[in-house]
Amino acid sequence: MSDPQILVENILNALTAGILIGCIYGLMCVGLGLIFGVMRVVNFAQGDFLMLGMYAAYYLFTGWGLLNFLGPYAGPLLAAMLAGPIVFAGGVLLHRFIISRVSGLRTTASLDEGHFGQLIVTLGVSLILQNGGLIVFGSSPRSVRTPLSSSAWVIETPFYDSLIFLNKARLLSSVVAIAVAIILYVMLERTRLGRSLRAAADNPTAATYAGVDVDRAHRIAFGLGSGITAVAGGLIATYISYSPFAGLDFVIIMYAGVVLGGMGSILGAFWGGLTVGFVQQFSGLILPPQLQNAAIFVVFLLILVLRPQGFFGRSAERA
Amino acid sequence: MLEVTDLAVSYGGLRALAGVSLVVGAGQFVTVVGPNGAGKSTLFKTISGIVPPTAGSVRFEGEDLLAMPASRRAHLGIAHVPEGRQVFKAMTVRENLEMGAYPMAGRHAWVRMLDRIHTLFPILAERAGQFAGTLSGGEQQMLAIGRGLACAPKLLMLDEPSMGLAPAIADLIFDRISQIHREDGLTILLVEQRVAEALELCDRGYVLETGRIVLEGPYEILAGDDRVRRSYLGLDDA
Repeated sequence: MSDPQILVENILNALTAGILIGCIYGLMCVGLGLIFGVMRVVNFAQGDFLMLGMYAAYYLFTGWGLLNFLGPYAGPLLAAMLAGPIVFAGGVLLHRFIISRVSGLRTTASLDEGHFGQLIVTLGVSLILQNGGLIVFGSSPRSVRTPLSSSAWVIETPFYDSLIFLNKARLLSSVVAIAVAIILYVMLERTRLGRSLRAAADNPTAATYAGVDVDRAHRIAFGLGSGITAVAGGLIATYISYSPFAGLDFVIIMYAGVVLGGMGSILGAFWGGLTVGFVQQFSGLILPPQLQNAAIFVVFLLILVLRPQGFFGRSAERA
Repeated sequence: MLEVTDLAVSYGGLRALAGVSLVVGAGQFVTVVGPNGAGKSTLFKTISGIVPPTAGSVRFEGEDLLAMPASRRAHLGIAHVPEGRQVFKAMTVRENLEMGAYPMAGRHAWVRMLDRIHTLFPILAERAGQFAGTLSGGEQQMLAIGRGLACAPKLLMLDEPSMGLAPAIADLIFDRISQIHREDGLTILLVEQRVAEALELCDRGYVLETGRIVLEGPYEILAGDDRVRRSYLGLDDA
């Protein structure tokens, strides 16, 4: 083994790992971006929806073993996807009874008024979910482990004969993440429901005049955003171990990704998450692991300075 | 068709409307004129359910509008073209019209209404794929009216359609509104600051001042009234 070989191999593996992890980050950012984009609610509990998704997948596959019969390939992935509807239902109920009291037409109209209530409420929900999770799920680390978690497909490249290791669990998870993101995107762009969500995001008053029940649109957006992030959680669960406080690590990544992509843009949120994945993996080449999140923030700050509207933020609009 | 009775609205103790009554019959073109701050937009927002009244009733074809959520009105056949246009800026022109056709009636009449909208405002067909936020003010107003028509409404409510537009464009908008009334037989309720143009179009008009109806009647009566001639029409030949 020569030095250039190791270098090239490290770069290629950081690249592929960045893409694989970035796709899942992208999906969780899409969930957060959807909630912010439609409701203008800054949701601190988003990381904990991710955590709930992880535990939903854990109980469906490893804990209760309901999906064991599907084997190590389909089982964990289906468990992750089922985490979506479960947390969707939870999100809808949460909005119905709590979030709707501090959001809606009154607060979407103004960016400064009414947001304190939302911050406190979502922070409170976050704390309840974390500590409630500790009571219900326990503090010992969990994971949806299969033989795939620690095996890889190996690709030989012509560059110095270096090898790329594609972790099987990560690869399959990122494929599912891309598929879910595409389905959501098509739903938002092409269906009547999707159009009504975008209209409610764009101009809630005009959407009401057009016949859209904006409160219901918010409820659906909140449920969808929670569910999508939970699917991402279920997918991550296939290759890491986690505790009820896992959401804290990811909520930062999610916010960085959503702001990078441009607040309110779904496509941008995915690219933002992907970028964060890249930065994290590449910074791992030169920085110790503790500093990887710091690298994310350096890039984050650079983008805020150079392009405050984000990659996909809209600047071409007349008043 | 639309019956507003003794409507009163206050914003934090400040009276915006007091005892406003107004009737729009099927097929009529009714105009509400008045100076800035008279409560014209408040009247519209109350009818549309965005602002809650302190007293009074609003009925549409016998149904009590105040008892239902704001979003139901579009499904009953009331199209509200709001002040300041309020198009969906991040959506394309076509998508804006599709949103207009969100109620069932609009979906059934989609092909017919789209054709009609494009006949009235050919520019909207040309710009179908463009984001509404990039349109000029006049084009946005056309789009807002088109979006209102797309739900195949029974009643079209227009709030200051000429606001912020160049005179030539405003004239064109008034022409189209009049055309919609004549050719489609659509019932129209118009709120407008350009009193002369608005009164010329209407079957019946109301003059709103500081939250009260001070004068009402057919065009001939209003246009003949001394106060209207002096204050709004700029005529001083009594």
